[in-house]
Amino acid sequence: MKDYNMTTTRKFSTRLSRRVFLGAMGASVGFSGLPFNLRAAPKSPGRAIAFDSDALILADSTLSRNDGDWSPLPVPTPGDILSLATHPGRPGRILAGLTSGGVALSEDGGYGWEAKSKGLPDAPATAVTVAAAEPDTFYAAILGDGLWKSDDAGQSWALAMDRPWLAKAERDLTALASVDLATGMGGIWIYAGTELGLTRVPDCFCRWQDVQPGDAMDALVSGEPTPMEAPLPGGETIKALVSAPSLPTRLFAALPSGIWDSQDAGVRWSQKLNTRALGVAVHPNNADFVVAITGDGLIESRNGGMNWTALARV
Amino acid sequence: MTRRGWGAAAALVAVIGAAGWIAAAQQAPDEESLTFLGEPVTIAQLELGQEVYAASCASCHGETLKGQPDWRRRNENGRMPAPPHDASGHTWHHADRQLFTITKLGVSAIVPGYESDMPAFEGILSDHEIAAVLAFIKSTWPERERGFQARITAKEGGGS
Repeated sequence: MKDYNMTTTRKFSTRLSRRVFLGAMGASVGFSGLPFNLRAAPKSPGRAIAFDSDALILADSTLSRNDGDWSPLPVPTPGDILSLATHPGRPGRILAGLTSGGVALSEDGGYGWEAKSKGLPDAPATAVTVAAAEPDTFYAAILGDGLWKSDDAGQSWALAMDRPWLAKAERDLTALASVDLATGMGGIWIYAGTELGLTRVPDCFCRWQDVQPGDAMDALVSGEPTPMEAPLPGGETIKALVSAPSLPTRLFAALPSGIWDSQDAGVRWSQKLNTRALGVAVHPNNADFVVAITGDGLIESRNGGMNWTALARV
Repeated sequence: MTRRGWGAAAALVAVIGAAGWIAAAQQAPDEESLTFLGEPVTIAQLELGQEVYAASCASCHGETLKGQPDWRRRNENGRMPAPPHDASGHTWHHADRQLFTITKLGVSAIVPGYESDMPAFEGILSDHEIAAVLAFIKSTWPERERGFQARITAKEGGGS
């Protein structure tokens, strides 16, 4: 078994060639210790992924679940899944944002689905997340509209916040993560990805703001934004964003340039993989156990992105 | 005690009682819970705050503190409408010191680079007037919101 190490920092890249990457992927197929069955893995790279306890849920045009072996799940009507969210305190609960508009909810690990779109605009839900501190509070980013909130597990929805204003225009949210860190205003943060990078809003929804060191109160009368030492690369769409439930300061982001991680709630980032990434999930109890969707297939890391092994794409 | 002594004592009690009544009347009815930057809020402060609010704040935030219509939707210029200051808004999520700073120095003092239609009131309102108007806004909140904001303020070390 030969792992490949693609860890880089922004300044000192140690990129591997595509040939080496594919070779390593091929070598990893023979590894018997992988937790997920590769032979039955979905062939499509997928567009959204999430952990439901120890199981993986993978969505593309179909939906699959892996509790040791991959098995198909019914796709919730009326549309394909564009985004997924789960909560460690509610095993079996899966929230799905739909391409055709609205969201669907499963309470049994993805085997049964119910539309939960009452009050939501009829537009794709590009990102969803479940509030880290309130498993019955859901957020959905609606394309061309804004951030919506449900306090009753999807029974009803209300607009929480318009889209962020970045570079003289409103920007759609492409990723959402509830981050269980205090804002200094009695709540926690919602981090969001856009086509231009990362932003965040306190869950009192006063305003979108750049990620800064500390909480919202630490910026008090600071005058100018604190220069970021190692931000995410500018101008890249954040395809997925997660905060580790067991260690909320640990963030992972999937970008066209690869998988990036932050250990200080998004202030400084380092690149953990330099191949195109479409989705990322982190295990609810292990912040070092990460699974990513790349252009070449599913991969996993058990050491926080230092080394990756292939999971899918046979 | 002599008859003269009893009379003097009764007069003293009456004076102390009257002074206490006057002092109580000058404080807000529920001054036990309503403070601003750690200082008890008085009725005179609330009256001043209400006047200042009507003159300087109500045109945007509304006479009944309900904010501008559709305040969660951005204006054409990218800026957000004036939010409500009642329980439906988020003002009560902010500590006293933060509210004072936003009012005096502008929102960008809290969120660097943030563009807002709300002006900084430094040079327009005195610190005393800013404190008064914020005390007035706080006095309109229901018990739950006031308690929440008091805890946020206490955590920030600015009194409740």
